[in-house]
Amino acid sequence: MVAVFAVGLFSSAGAMAQQPHPWQMNFQKAATPVMEEIIWFHNWLLVIEIAIVILVLALMLYIAIKFNAKANPVPSKTTHNAPLEVIWTVVPIIILVVIAVPSMKLLFFMDKAQDPEMTLKVIGNQWFWSYEYPDHGNFTFDANLTQKEDLPDDKKSLYLLEVDNHVVLPADTSIRLLFTANDVLHNWAIPSFGVKMDTVPGRINEAWIEVSSKHMGTYYGQCSELCGVNHGYMPIAVDIVSKAEFAAWVEKAKEEFARVDEPAVDVARIGARGTTAGR
Amino acid sequence: MSDAAAAHDHGHDDHHGAPAGWRRWVYSTNHKDIGTLYLVAAMVAVLIGGVFSFMIRLELQSPGLQYIEDLQFYNVLVTAHGFVMVFFFVMPALIGGFGNWFIPLMIGAPDMAFPRMNNISFWLLVVGLLLLLTSALVAGGAGTGWTVYPPLSNATFHSGAAVDFAILSLHVAGASSILGAINFITTIMNMRAPGMTYHRMPLFIWAMLVTAFLLLLALPVLAGALTMLLTDRNFGTTFFEASGGGDPIFWQHLFWFFGHPEVYIMIVPAFGVISHVVSTFSKKPVFGYLGMAYAMAAIGFIGFIVWAHHMFTVGFNVETRAYFVLATMVIAVPTGVKIFSWLATMWGGSIEFRTPMLYAMGFIFLFVVGGVTGITLANAGVDIAFHDTYFVIAHFHYVLSIAAAFGILSGFFYWFPKMCGKMYNESLGKIQFWLMFIGVNILFFPQHFSGMAGMPRRIPDYPEAYAGWNFVSSIGAYISFAASLLFFYIVIQTLRSGEKAPANPWGEGATTLEWQVPSPAPFHTHDQTPDMRPQPAE
Amino acid sequence: MSADPQIPKRRPAGNRATALSLAVFVAGMVGLAFAAEPLYRTFCQITGFGGTTRTAEAAPRGIADKLITVQFDANVNIQLPWRFRPVQSSVELKPGQEMLAFYEATNLSDKPIVGTAVFNVAPFKAGSYFNKIQCFCFTEQVLNPGESVVMPVTFFVDPDMVADANTADVSTITLSYTFYAADDQSKAARIQADRGAPSAASDSKS
Repeated sequence: MVAVFAVGLFSSAGAMAQQPHPWQMNFQKAATPVMEEIIWFHNWLLVIEIAIVILVLALMLYIAIKFNAKANPVPSKTTHNAPLEVIWTVVPIIILVVIAVPSMKLLFFMDKAQDPEMTLKVIGNQWFWSYEYPDHGNFTFDANLTQKEDLPDDKKSLYLLEVDNHVVLPADTSIRLLFTANDVLHNWAIPSFGVKMDTVPGRINEAWIEVSSKHMGTYYGQCSELCGVNHGYMPIAVDIVSKAEFAAWVEKAKEEFARVDEPAVDVARIGARGTTAGR
Repeated sequence: MSDAAAAHDHGHDDHHGAPAGWRRWVYSTNHKDIGTLYLVAAMVAVLIGGVFSFMIRLELQSPGLQYIEDLQFYNVLVTAHGFVMVFFFVMPALIGGFGNWFIPLMIGAPDMAFPRMNNISFWLLVVGLLLLLTSALVAGGAGTGWTVYPPLSNATFHSGAAVDFAILSLHVAGASSILGAINFITTIMNMRAPGMTYHRMPLFIWAMLVTAFLLLLALPVLAGALTMLLTDRNFGTTFFEASGGGDPIFWQHLFWFFGHPEVYIMIVPAFGVISHVVSTFSKKPVFGYLGMAYAMAAIGFIGFIVWAHHMFTVGFNVETRAYFVLATMVIAVPTGVKIFSWLATMWGGSIEFRTPMLYAMGFIFLFVVGGVTGITLANAGVDIAFHDTYFVIAHFHYVLSIAAAFGILSGFFYWFPKMCGKMYNESLGKIQFWLMFIGVNILFFPQHFSGMAGMPRRIPDYPEAYAGWNFVSSIGAYISFAASLLFFYIVIQTLRSGEKAPANPWGEGATTLEWQVPSPAPFHTHDQTPDMRPQPAE
Repeated sequence: MSADPQIPKRRPAGNRATALSLAVFVAGMVGLAFAAEPLYRTFCQITGFGGTTRTAEAAPRGIADKLITVQFDANVNIQLPWRFRPVQSSVELKPGQEMLAFYEATNLSDKPIVGTAVFNVAPFKAGSYFNKIQCFCFTEQVLNPGESVVMPVTFFVDPDMVADANTADVSTITLSYTFYAADDQSKAARIQADRGAPSAASDSKS
């Protein structure tokens, strides 16, 4: 229901949906600063790697032409060349250090704790995802795969990506994601966000995202840890909307979706020290 | 018992004393026969594992489920394919097969240190394979991936005996390898001909020594982890159960502590083969012998301290991830030394592009391709995008299914004349190489693209957008399969009607001891220990 | 290659000794795998790995001047028919301040059950700075049918967390508990036995 509301909203606004394209050879478009950095780093690294491969290939072609038995009937006896051995030990070390610097920057950038403005809790199940919004009335809903026959004809390409209830999140907001699972290991991943985190039963993992209002739209991902027979059938769909649209959606969702049990007791009566922050 | 040499003093080669009939094989204590048994077992296994992957690629050729409706069966196929290829194809071929055949021959020993234990190692392997196939047939099979992560692999989510059979299979195969490792290390350390110091050993021997130590240290950890999983499943322990204070991630640490050295166990022997082949067909000694030997040792050692790069998304501290990124990248240095040393060996050589050499050159180039994608994956930041996608599958198939397999094929064509006394048809060999080369590249290169586009691993069906490259990949699988069939045809044709092979079919470049004995190598060799001490006249 | 009397004969005893020392290695590595379990746990305790928290006797003296939000998260394993929730969804406090928070658990079934909880905090790097003085983790909690209990957690955030450059940016910490049916249901079985009714021990465990 809410999905229909969301999809309807988007077709009128003409917002983009980020899903893989046929014959795609590169990453899906980035929707977060983290993913932009990942793409940048990867492309930069790829240039170095392609250069290495071309170097080796070029050397081998040269060798095949210059040193085949016909061209060079008498083999040399050289088995050592200390300067050369030093070079091909030291130069790779230098290249690795050069790679390591931006790599570490990216890694620590991704890890930096943000001041989150809201939290989304993600729970992996066999074989669907459940979501909780603890800061917005603590409602919860499940997201199940939309079967192929239930997809409109022009949207059949979304089979195995589309679900009945999208996660809806506000743009320009620092969002903390908490992950856990109810049964086995799963993994929540959205390529465009640069998010991929195992959901482990018995513990909470954390990540954060922020999607700018330039990138509002629907984003798809798939479970990324083998979790049983329907591992390929529990995808993820996230709608990034404006803050106003999000607030409106929250109101509808509070009515439509069940509540995760609320704290029932009046804290003041128990005499806790310190303050309590709102729900 | 190990001194078969002492009793026989014939001084000429023959099958004198060789038992006949099935007893020769079942009770064998002869390193060559046991080597042959391993190679035959590896060939059977590669056909089985290959059929599994053929079925997977058949299903993945188009979106939708065409052939497989039971999705547990699909997961079992994926799992069994991995286990069979790793434990029953690559390892037996390189270590059990070539190791057994050529270690004693190259070091001047009449046989292994413990010939009867050698026999046990082989038959344990067969039992292991049977147990694995059994696991696929009972209780729905083990649909866990070769990594067997709990909770999916525990008794709640895989009730029934399938995972237990798989655990038993790995215990048995692991025991086979551990005993083999003890045998190999003892043989290499104690039974080299006088004059063959460590620094004068052939590089294949170095490779086997490093590999044997990796086996010795890594497999017991797998055995411990498997035992813990077995008791969790059957005896109420909670090593990996959060409900009992355990941790599923603990399994991953133990498994990958074994699992990463395992991939070096699979590639280091191939490094050894390539050194011999490149040197032989370039007619030059290997460039930078010491660097090559110690690079293998370094790769082996570092391989033990990088395991968590398989776990970058489980959720652990950024500092620890940073360490594993850096440690993993360090391996590129000794690996680079090897690649450049092989090229330098060829440089200035007089190269004959016979089939073994084609495979060796294919190895060098394609291992570099697989290796650089490894550098990408080693960087934890980028790995977030690639973890559990087809990019990872592309990477490890390049370094294993292509590079390690090419190492096996290179060694096979190189040593086949020595083992069976007949020459394979060189033109057919070359055709087979090119067919295989084309097939495996069409099969695996597009998977990099699928992975970049976000296609996850271990799924039986995929969103339409991934159809294009999956189709291409499946075509590559069929071509590779045809190339494999051509390989078996060549083997059979050679055995039936190949030309008689001389002791040394490869010329002046073949300088190691196995080329001094006749082809096929007699049942007993080096009854008299060769004298490898440097002679004053030399 | 003629026999050279100067080449020493091979000694099987040498081989046996080598093999034995290698076998010791093997045994050692198996031992290491099993020792890994307590080692891993200790390692996590010391380093706060994976968001493992610490236990302390009492709050340190000194309070850092930064407001931290601690969010409370609760999970119940599907095989435990309990309701489990934090009494307060979050609190604000300064590192060094001792805080008392509560979780509430209710047995929704008709049999007594023993539950036990596991926990961690996020972000992980805050783990070693999150100290619990008293909590209900790993303590077996028996609940009769329909019974509710309010379980306290006393904790503080170590003020050193603000001084540490690595964790200075942390402003929100989540404390998460997951309740499972305990493997040892004997307490529940005893209650049932006292009442003369069939116990839950047989069907509450996987």
